[in-house]
Amino acid sequence: MDRLLVVRCPDLLDEDEDGDALRSFTGVVAAVEAYCPWVTVVRPGVCSLPVRGPARYFGGEQALVGLVHRAATGVDGAGATVGVGVADGLFAAVLAAGAGVVVPAGGTPGFLAPLPVAVLGDDDLADLLARLGVRTLGDFAGLPERHVLGRFGAHGVACHRVAGGRSGELDGLRQAGCGPRVEALRRGTPEPVRQSGFWGGMSDADARAARALDEVQRLLGPGAVATAHLQGGRAPGERTRLVTWGGAAVEAGDPGAPWPGRIPPPAPVLVHGRPRRAEVADAGGGAVAVSGRGLLSADPARLSVEGGPWQAVEAWAGPWPSDDRWWSRAHRRSARMQVVAADGTRLLLVERGRWWVEATYG
Amino acid sequence: MFATPDDDAVPPDTSATIPGGRSGTGRGRESLALLAERVRPTAASRTRLLPVDPALAALLPEGGLRRGATIVVATRGGAGGGISLSVALLAAASAGGSWCAAVGLPDLGAVALADLGIDLGRFALVHSPGPAWAEATATLFDGIEAVLLCPPFPPRPAMARRLVARARDRHTVLVVVPGRAGWPEPPDVHLAVDGARWDGIGQGTGHLRRRRLTVTATGRRSATRPRRHDLWLPSPAGTVDGVDGADR
Repeated sequence: MDRLLVVRCPDLLDEDEDGDALRSFTGVVAAVEAYCPWVTVVRPGVCSLPVRGPARYFGGEQALVGLVHRAATGVDGAGATVGVGVADGLFAAVLAAGAGVVVPAGGTPGFLAPLPVAVLGDDDLADLLARLGVRTLGDFAGLPERHVLGRFGAHGVACHRVAGGRSGELDGLRQAGCGPRVEALRRGTPEPVRQSGFWGGMSDADARAARALDEVQRLLGPGAVATAHLQGGRAPGERTRLVTWGGAAVEAGDPGAPWPGRIPPPAPVLVHGRPRRAEVADAGGGAVAVSGRGLLSADPARLSVEGGPWQAVEAWAGPWPSDDRWWSRAHRRSARMQVVAADGTRLLLVERGRWWVEATYG
Repeated sequence: MFATPDDDAVPPDTSATIPGGRSGTGRGRESLALLAERVRPTAASRTRLLPVDPALAALLPEGGLRRGATIVVATRGGAGGGISLSVALLAAASAGGSWCAAVGLPDLGAVALADLGIDLGRFALVHSPGPAWAEATATLFDGIEAVLLCPPFPPRPAMARRLVARARDRHTVLVVVPGRAGWPEPPDVHLAVDGARWDGIGQGTGHLRRRRLTVTATGRRSATRPRRHDLWLPSPAGTVDGVDGADR
């Protein structure tokens, strides 16, 4: 979890009709950027920056907090109650800013523990926890995670992790789209409307998309957004590779969609990054195998995927022996078969007597 | 590259509104209309509809994807076809230069996407958004014109409602493939794949050649009466095709 410095302007948390609050906040962001270029707008009135680098440069976290506080308070319209704080993860850092404290490294769980569960911002959850006698984040964090999952679902688990200081991101903490709006205000341009890049270069639509994708990546972490690229033209047998957004970094290991050439088109719309185990049985219940010469030991009659219920095989084609080597470093003998069952149509791969679902015609 | 506008998107007889245009000569009007169409790129951005493949137009009440609308694509009985249909809905818009994104569908096969007409260079993949999926999706609405979403966790009704409202607000088309998680909010258009039948495959013979999907469209307002249509998806070339008289 990143150690973050958060600047919180209580007077600017609510947007007013004429946009003055957001404009004042834009000034705060600009003032803070004098100390670190990596300022992220969290929501109106709140921005964050990674603290490690700047703290080293400006002589410690406490010194940096003092400088940033002075700069932010000096902005017209920022109000007198600007809070600056440091903690691990965004959630704790926002609370630290509200209290104006620097939580020492590793001290975040202890900082959060005495706070009431209501600070998680979910009234239903807070009510429910209060009825269970759980009143503070520390009490909540002490519950076993699997019980939290069973009782409160995925959202509950997200809150639980935040309460224990194990995660800093919580649904609703960041306001989507606020960053680009502040950025547009700072450049003095109205929020861009789409225009085509008629004369070449990047169109406004591309720029807008780029900003949205940047924002998603800031939210979910680097590598969360990718685009797929086909290699070697449009011929069958090509591979795809994923390129992470905003970087030339090409993912090695290729979790994307390699596509073997021996199978006639159309291509399946789902290619499983991790093939799923399958079992194929004949009418008598015996396992179906493929011989070294690419012949089936018996007609497939039933199919089960990952231990699921047996499905009747309605039609099948293949097996097509494969000689491609993308599957592993060592060349292995394998074959593929298309199978239509009541619950879907799949491409199966058989290798060393084991069947896998490699792709699904979803 | 010029966008080819669908009929709905063409402004009403542009040539007649140009001052000084000699509306008397049919040819002049024609070339003016042509010119108006060619210099349309900024106008195209304001149109209400994103184009869809003609084979899919009959499924949508307005013959295209209305910006800000939510469309749910469901599959009945697990026969498959829902993912292909949801991607096919975006293909014409993508080919026309619109940015699209897919959230929570880590296994999308790029070859099938490209065959359907998706421009992979403008198709962002957010494979595993995790618990912040709704926030990530809402963020995409700020710059992406059509978003395909498969929620990784069951969405709470309030969250789904907020997403739908935000898509409407940002004029982004939201196509939801509910998957196992489900979708609690009634969409503008609901497409259900009722049946899927493959051509070309037998008992150990041939290969998967094309799939005939039967799709039922229902909707909130203009599409209250269910409409059924048959499609080839994928066609032998991996595209979407209407089922014409000869196929029936």
